Amino acid sequence: MADRARIAPLAFLALLLALPPLLEAADQAFYISLLTRVLVSGLAAASLDLILGYGGMVSFGHAAFLGVGGYVFGILMSHGFMGDALVLGGVEIPGTNEALILLPIATILAGLVALAIGAICLRTGGVHFIMITLAFAQMLYFLFVGMEDYGGDDGLSLWDRATLAGWDVSSDMATFYLSLTALVAFLVLARRLVDSRFGMVIRAARQNERRLAALGLPVQRYKLACFALAGMAAGLAGALTVNHAEFVSPAMVHWTRSGEILVMVILGGMGTLYGPVLGAVVYFLLEHLLSGWTEHWMAAFGPALILAVLFFRGGLWRLIVGKEMDTAGGEARGEAVHHG
Amino acid sequence: MVDPSPPTLELKGLCKAFGGITATDNLSLTVAAGEVHALIGPNGAGKTTTMAQITGEIRPDAGHILLDGRDITTLPVHARAALGIGRSFQITTLFPDFSALDNVAMAVQAKAGTSFRFWRPARQESELRDPARDALARVGLGDRTEVPAGDLSHGEKRALELAMALAGRPRLLLLDEPMAGMGPEESPRMVDLLLALKGSVAMLLVEHDMDAVFTLADRLTVLVTGAVVASGEPDRVRADPDVRRAYLGEGDHAPC
Repeated sequence: MADRARIAPLAFLALLLALPPLLEAADQAFYISLLTRVLVSGLAAASLDLILGYGGMVSFGHAAFLGVGGYVFGILMSHGFMGDALVLGGVEIPGTNEALILLPIATILAGLVALAIGAICLRTGGVHFIMITLAFAQMLYFLFVGMEDYGGDDGLSLWDRATLAGWDVSSDMATFYLSLTALVAFLVLARRLVDSRFGMVIRAARQNERRLAALGLPVQRYKLACFALAGMAAGLAGALTVNHAEFVSPAMVHWTRSGEILVMVILGGMGTLYGPVLGAVVYFLLEHLLSGWTEHWMAAFGPALILAVLFFRGGLWRLIVGKEMDTAGGEARGEAVHHG
Repeated sequence: MVDPSPPTLELKGLCKAFGGITATDNLSLTVAAGEVHALIGPNGAGKTTTMAQITGEIRPDAGHILLDGRDITTLPVHARAALGIGRSFQITTLFPDFSALDNVAMAVQAKAGTSFRFWRPARQESELRDPARDALARVGLGDRTEVPAGDLSHGEKRALELAMALAGRPRLLLLDEPMAGMGPEESPRMVDLLLALKGSVAMLLVEHDMDAVFTLADRLTVLVTGAVVASGEPDRVRADPDVRRAYLGEGDHAPC
């Protein structure tokens, strides 16, 4: 099992690296673009897993940070293209189309927004936490709808994709590899994070917050830091989504988007980091297949999800690599033993 | 503080009421360094409320709590724990999905300064794992280190609790019914464990098992409806007519 847990991610990575040239050769280049959407959704889902699967924080507003990252990216890109500076409180901020500037800014601002929202939301717990994260995401949704200068309800179209250190990386193939690089970088960092002292505190907080406080740890501070880190990664995912789609709209922050990400995490396996990426793959695959079959694809999609959650309680990733004990999905080990 | 060596724990005139119900009524007591001080009383006497005020989970209405002479009355839970208050819970509360070793290592980590460390795998840090293994060995769990805490027997869980409290190298150990729910074989083992620790750490013990209390305690305080009825050496308290009437009944065993 331990070997499979190590080999499986590398095998998937090798597959992903090899796919674009193969798809192009097979004249199926359309799928490269679809795969890029899967990757950035996978990044968003994996970032949610950090707080949901490891920290036990059920956020129903994770799309808020996608939206912040996406809009920061989109707004600066559009100013960069138009050549007019963004004026904020008397300060002129020039736009740009350089990914090495745009992506860090989008990531950091999304993290700061997550820090502010998290500081309020983490005063609550349980159902209240779910509702208040949802409420904040909806507030941002309406904020974006109200931004008439940037398309309001209709969203903001961009003319091109960002450059990377001046290089043109606007092709679908380059965009795919850029997104894949970001995803892999996040997974490597997050993997280290969850096994570090910080990560152990976050995992312990999910199991027994009161005990952790009694041990002398200021639990809220750690949870908030984790919430902000997850927000940063979601912001990066949002920026990459906008870069790929060359379009940003309030739909990105809609609560159904938060729900989708949540489903990807649960489907793929909470507390596995790789699982949510697999969850995104399966989610898009099902959507693609079912919507080609009927326009009422949601009617089949819903039951399929319910069955998946009922029968693979630890998530799809654990079917591949086996169980880990001390993460949210790992709790289902009792059931798994009975079935197996 | 004029006294050069203040008691490890001192409660001064502690009061707490919930609505019209007085849970703690002008309670004062001390626990000297290395001493085992038992707090007994019938159900509803305010023992658990007293413990919660010492840990910081409940804020007293009046009075002061001093740890080594330092006023900690207004400090939050985690800050008190960091100053050296270790506790074992009345209802066993662990990190059930972590191994026994992970549980104790978390206690060591909590004492080792900030946990804002993001890179090194914590399970490979010998400065966390070694003291954790030692603490587990001290409570007789040396061969159960890799078992998930949730899968341990009740007695083993209580022992693990104790190991976690010890791993933090506390100044004061708050033991809230460490014998609760233990079978007739397990209780004496826990008493032996606590006896072995006696002298190395100050303990405030809440316990219904009178045999355990009289075996372990250097001093005894009897609480009834939040107020002290008697306090002193166990044999003197046992002979006190007020105590016999209020709590101990005719025999030596508590009616609960």
